[in-house]
Amino acid sequence: MQNLPVRQEKGGIAMATTATATATAAEIQLVVFQLEEETYGVEINHVQEIIRMQSITQIPRTPAFIEGVINLRGRIIPVIDLHKRFNLSRLEITNNTRIMVVELGQVTVGMIVDSVSEVLRLPVTSIEPPPPIITGIDVAYLQGVGKWNDRLIILLNLDRVLRESEQRQLQQEIAAGVEKQ
Amino acid sequence: MSELDMSQYLGVFLDEAEEQLQQLDETIVRLEQTPDDLDLLNTIFRAAHTLKGSSASMGFNNMATLTHRMESVLDLLRQGKLALSREIIDVLLAGLDELRLLRDSIAAGSGDEGEIGGTVARLEAILNGQPLAPAGAKGDGSPAAGAGAIGTTATAGTAGTAAAAGASGTAGSAAATGTASIAGVAGVAGVAGVAGAPGTATPASTAATPGTARAAAAAGTTGAAGPVGTPGTTLVLDDIEQNVIRAARVKGYHGYEIRVQLEDGCQMKSARAYLVFNNLKDAGEIIKSVPHTQELEAEKFGDTFTLAFVSREDADTLANIVKSISEIKAVTVRPLVLEEDRAAAAAGPGREQDSSGAAVRTAGLTGEHHINQTVRVDVQRLENLMNLVGELVIDRTRLAEVGNGLKNRLGNEELLETLEEVSLHIGRITSDLQEEIMKARMFPVDQIFNRFPRMVRDLARKAGKEIDFIVEGRETELDRTVIEEIGDPLIHLLRNAIDHGIEEPEQRLRAGKTRHGTVRLRAFHQENQIVITVEDDGAGMEPEKIKARAVDKGLISREVAARLAPREALDLIFLPGLSTSVQVTDVSGRGVGMDIVRNHIEKINGTIDIRTTPGKGTCFTIKMPLTLAINRSLLVQVGGRVYAFPLANVVEIIDIKPAEIQHVHRQQVVVVRGRVLPLIYLGQALGLTRGGLEAENLAVVIVGLAEKQVGFIVDHLIGEQEIVIKSLGSFIGKIPGIAGATIMGDGSVALILDVRSLVGSLGVEASRELAS
Repeated sequence: MQNLPVRQEKGGIAMATTATATATAAEIQLVVFQLEEETYGVEINHVQEIIRMQSITQIPRTPAFIEGVINLRGRIIPVIDLHKRFNLSRLEITNNTRIMVVELGQVTVGMIVDSVSEVLRLPVTSIEPPPPIITGIDVAYLQGVGKWNDRLIILLNLDRVLRESEQRQLQQEIAAGVEKQ
Repeated sequence: MSELDMSQYLGVFLDEAEEQLQQLDETIVRLEQTPDDLDLLNTIFRAAHTLKGSSASMGFNNMATLTHRMESVLDLLRQGKLALSREIIDVLLAGLDELRLLRDSIAAGSGDEGEIGGTVARLEAILNGQPLAPAGAKGDGSPAAGAGAIGTTATAGTAGTAAAAGASGTAGSAAATGTASIAGVAGVAGVAGVAGAPGTATPASTAATPGTARAAAAAGTTGAAGPVGTPGTTLVLDDIEQNVIRAARVKGYHGYEIRVQLEDGCQMKSARAYLVFNNLKDAGEIIKSVPHTQELEAEKFGDTFTLAFVSREDADTLANIVKSISEIKAVTVRPLVLEEDRAAAAAGPGREQDSSGAAVRTAGLTGEHHINQTVRVDVQRLENLMNLVGELVIDRTRLAEVGNGLKNRLGNEELLETLEEVSLHIGRITSDLQEEIMKARMFPVDQIFNRFPRMVRDLARKAGKEIDFIVEGRETELDRTVIEEIGDPLIHLLRNAIDHGIEEPEQRLRAGKTRHGTVRLRAFHQENQIVITVEDDGAGMEPEKIKARAVDKGLISREVAARLAPREALDLIFLPGLSTSVQVTDVSGRGVGMDIVRNHIEKINGTIDIRTTPGKGTCFTIKMPLTLAINRSLLVQVGGRVYAFPLANVVEIIDIKPAEIQHVHRQQVVVVRGRVLPLIYLGQALGLTRGGLEAENLAVVIVGLAEKQVGFIVDHLIGEQEIVIKSLGSFIGKIPGIAGATIMGDGSVALILDVRSLVGSLGVEASRELAS
């Protein structure tokens, strides 16, 4: 883990301040991972653990991005494929592929990522709101973009990534229900 | 009591209140059937008393006032000063209903607000009013003797008032205040009061068996033998006394029960008793005497007394010691029988030797005599425990696998053998642990059964029918989740039995039956299932009538009806909107019953079956799994994945050849023993690719859901296994066709099929095929 000198500047962007609820006021701690060419970050307190890729049991009649479920020490955890979630190219499983188990409220979900590189602290002041055009991902899923050294780290808005899939799920269910009747 | 204190105890209070109300409900209804059951009355009294105490201490005055009045009435009943009548039962039950409302109101956080005036007034009327006159008129006959014996359980205070009232004589003119009126009725106790009052100052709560025996002995002197047992028959030892004897046994002493009978007309009974005590002292130690030594000294006993005695001497020697005293008519010396001896005797000979082993068993046996110590545990905790054990089970399997792997690589090593041993041991412990936790989740079915007698009684009265309600197998245990689900269907079935099944009394007499109808509710275990039957000896159902009804309501066509076999016709009652009762009562007859019943039961993987004989009665049989957490399943493989069919749904497994498959209306079917069976490729139904068509033999799992049967073609059959059901979680939500997931021994996840919704989403035309 790397400690960075904390810059004592005041008044970060509104976006960033909300993200710093648990880290020291002026910095956030991120788990950094790769999806294709891009580097992403998720706040560490949402990340329960990172496990190796394993056999996933597919579930019929679920949205394509829901890869299936795994057994995490006796718990059944759904796993989503972020490639599919963000409409990226097809996931290629390598030795570096990991399942990042994140927790948000009552929901625990595994996210398949291409690799997990490190944990780092990012000063909130280096975080900027997401630019309107960035990679192929819908801006709605992003919380901001952090600059670290000369790298860009895209901060995921987990709430949107997870919650919206839930909502979509619900809508599908309702639709299915109507169809049946 | 401050707010803070209150909230701390409120949960416990509410739980206990619920328990006591439930107990009262049940016991009062039972009392109506057996008005002479004194034990029952005492149980009722104690429950009311406890409730009064706890509600008063929590500051719920309405509740306390109401229970207090009920308790007073019960007390009079218990003392035989008030005759039990249907009206009194009604008022008591009404009181209970109000108590329940108060309880609910407290639970809802609005205190014990409620209108209790009416019932309190009625209770007071019973305490003061007309019922007293006949009670008083009964005079000093048999009730007096009864009161003398029952006096043991009364408080000294009441006994005192009884004596006072006896002295004042004119009981009927007593003032109408509460205590005075009790004294008024107590007048009947006058005669017994003289004999009873001095010796009966035992507090009500401690009036256990020894006390009753003592009272009986006391009653013996005055010649008025009470109804409570015969004097000095058996020695009842309490725990402490039993322990003394156990301790003595370890040191080589024997326990004896010595029964001494003095000669008729013995002049100085207490002196003889003293001599017996004195002479025996040299040979051992007296643990207990019945009657108590003080009563022996006061000559308050008949001509026999019984001692519990430990000694190294044998029985004959002891008998001789006692016989050496004059004016002893007879003496019997028998070895004392403790509970563990009974168990050992049942197990076989040699009980002296294995006393240490037997002592272990006592724990379970004494449990029958004492209230089990219990701890209230949050259900969630048990679920968590269950999950943890589930993980252990999986790790155990993996441990065994690692052991095997190492063995293959390293050959036979001593360390590996140890590893194997340890892994086996862990396996055993895990299974035991799993079983214990499963048991902790089990409740006796009585939890729901106990509210039915009251309901049946009320319904029967409302419908003007006379019904004996028999409940069997109350102690049968099942998982709490199942218990929660089974209550509603049973209520429906019982209502139906009372409303449609049992005929009016006159109609029954005309049919040559007894006036009283019988409704029997039974629960028992059968293999890995629990079976509950609801049986009545009423009118039964006629398939033809049901068919006609279904045609009238437009539920089936006349042609279909004509083809239905009698059994299939019976199944029609499960169709929504069919009711055979001509009248619509507020109990049933609206045609929304049986379909709900079946839905409920199928939801918990159960089945329901009807047997009926017109004119003789109907019997509904419900079969359910013991628990919802663990499920017996048939594991199958489709597209390389494992899926589990709940075994409850599986009717049979057959092999067919692809050539046997026929097409009817674009539906694949196969004819099995003359019956057309719709076929579904499981893989297709699950949205996977269809496969296995080129195979020579196709494995077909036939599942049954009510009257429908559907065959699922699978790639392979794996076998039968007990699985733990886990939910897929809120993120994925409910998927049609999937009931949940389970973790297999190798740690992989297999999906459990929800056959109901699977067939439901595909099988509409399938069932139609069947009907035509």
